[in-house]
Amino acid sequence: MEKITIQGRGVIHGVAEGEALVFPNSIAGWGGIDPATGVIKEPLNVNKGKSIKNKILVMSGSKGSNGWSCYFGAARAAGSAPKGWIFTKIDSSSGVASSIMQIPTVVDFSIDQNPCVLIENGDWVKINGDTGVVEIIKRKHEE
Amino acid sequence: MKLSSYEKSVLSGSNGKLSQIALENIIRYANVLGANELCEVTKATVFCGAHHYLNYCKSDNFHELFTKMNLGKDDTILFDKTYPDCYTQSCVSPCDQFEYESLHQSKEFFDKNTFFLKESRNAGVNIAGTCAPYLTGWIPIKGEHFVTTESGMTIIGNSLWGAMGNSDGIEAAFWSSICGRTPLWGNHIEENRKATHHVVVEAEINHLIEWDLLGKAVGMKLPSSSIPVIDGHFKTTNFTKLAQFFTTISMSSNCELCHIAGLTPEARNVSDAFKGSKSQGELVITHNDLQNAYNLICDIGSHKVDFVSLGCPHYNIDLIKRAAGYLEGKKIHPNVHFMIWTVYPIKAMADLNGYTRIIEEAGGKIYTSSCPTTVGNIFLDHYSGFVFDSYKQARSVKSDTNKPVFYGSMETCIDAAITGQWEAENRWKK
Repeated sequence: MEKITIQGRGVIHGVAEGEALVFPNSIAGWGGIDPATGVIKEPLNVNKGKSIKNKILVMSGSKGSNGWSCYFGAARAAGSAPKGWIFTKIDSSSGVASSIMQIPTVVDFSIDQNPCVLIENGDWVKINGDTGVVEIIKRKHEE
Repeated sequence: MKLSSYEKSVLSGSNGKLSQIALENIIRYANVLGANELCEVTKATVFCGAHHYLNYCKSDNFHELFTKMNLGKDDTILFDKTYPDCYTQSCVSPCDQFEYESLHQSKEFFDKNTFFLKESRNAGVNIAGTCAPYLTGWIPIKGEHFVTTESGMTIIGNSLWGAMGNSDGIEAAFWSSICGRTPLWGNHIEENRKATHHVVVEAEINHLIEWDLLGKAVGMKLPSSSIPVIDGHFKTTNFTKLAQFFTTISMSSNCELCHIAGLTPEARNVSDAFKGSKSQGELVITHNDLQNAYNLICDIGSHKVDFVSLGCPHYNIDLIKRAAGYLEGKKIHPNVHFMIWTVYPIKAMADLNGYTRIIEEAGGKIYTSSCPTTVGNIFLDHYSGFVFDSYKQARSVKSDTNKPVFYGSMETCIDAAITGQWEAENRWKK
């Protein structure tokens, strides 16, 4: 199994690991997910129909509405939250979402360590919100 | 984190638990962003009312809901104050100010929403109920730090008024309105506000719907987190058109600041917008881009319609006057629910000026404090064909329903309301 380690900035402490769900073009704000199930309902999203629940989300940043964070907060209240998440580049909406979710969070990767390029759906990812270290175990070859 | 003596004092609990938690959250948010200090916020719009996203927290207790969903804490803290130097008013809620039966809502839900608004008012929020807070005088000036829950307002405030705000989110707007602080980061810092991309508009832009479509066309082409400077020959621009443009660009991209050469204060011309920095790219917007944007949202063909809604963002008094003038002496089709959305003080002006009477005599209604997609599916599910004069509202409703959605100018929307039919020849074309 191929293992890759990349370094970002750890911003919400704690360690989490799980299966990656990758959103190179983020998730639409208001109404992009069903908080009850965590299922993506944005019509053109690459992961439409998949659930964020207990996953490690890998996202470019936020997208769209100022209501972006509250749908993740609602998923947290409904028990459908991801275990942790990483953002290629932090922005204000993803910053608020990280602050309210308080799940392990790593952000701001260098251009040659873009997590949305290096990580694929199904890879096993371990993130450390204290040190900013992200370990990726590629799973694709086993499928 | 560099903190002032006031901030240290609030953090120690001297101003009560609510302010302490709000400031703790703002500091956590600042750390996530990488900000080293905070700035004072003196304008805020906040998202009050019994909004549907709150239903995922199983409680009917307002303060428990507020604490869990907006503060991220489990032990209930009373939301009973806001920062005295911050002009705070409410964004839309999921109910009209007075009516619920015609929106297919229960009295129980309406009363719950009213109670949530009352508790927010007691905490110091001016209950306005609008996505267009400038209609009630909420106008941050150049250099003033603001927070807002309305995406379009972020870009209007930054671009048109030179005020400073980020697209923070619903929770952070509450934190800032309570403790009066936000991270000094992003658009709050002068040097971050330079243009990054030059957008040349070759398409002719005059009418309100063309500005609306320009917002979508630019938003679709903009790279993430860019700051465009729009460069075109605009002959008949006004605030209403620019507000429509900024509202639509905000829902089709993550743009928060959009200069327009010769029109906005930080862009006396294209070069002024870049402030000496190099353009990272040039985009060209043609008539075809506008037509493509239109075709993405307006369903094809002719179809019976029973829902026609104007006013996203909320209509100002001049637009209501124009709608009333176009409607005068005509009758809305009996199967059509025709509505105009605005804010309560503008509705009062429409009453005073006789526009409400004309619209109601024609069979229409003026609603306040909300919009169709914010009221939600309990309302929308009663109808089978929708018409809107706003790209944002059409797009939002399109993701809430599988039924036909049409989009056009105010006049073509009213024509559809009168005949109960959207005609294919009403499609926008130059």
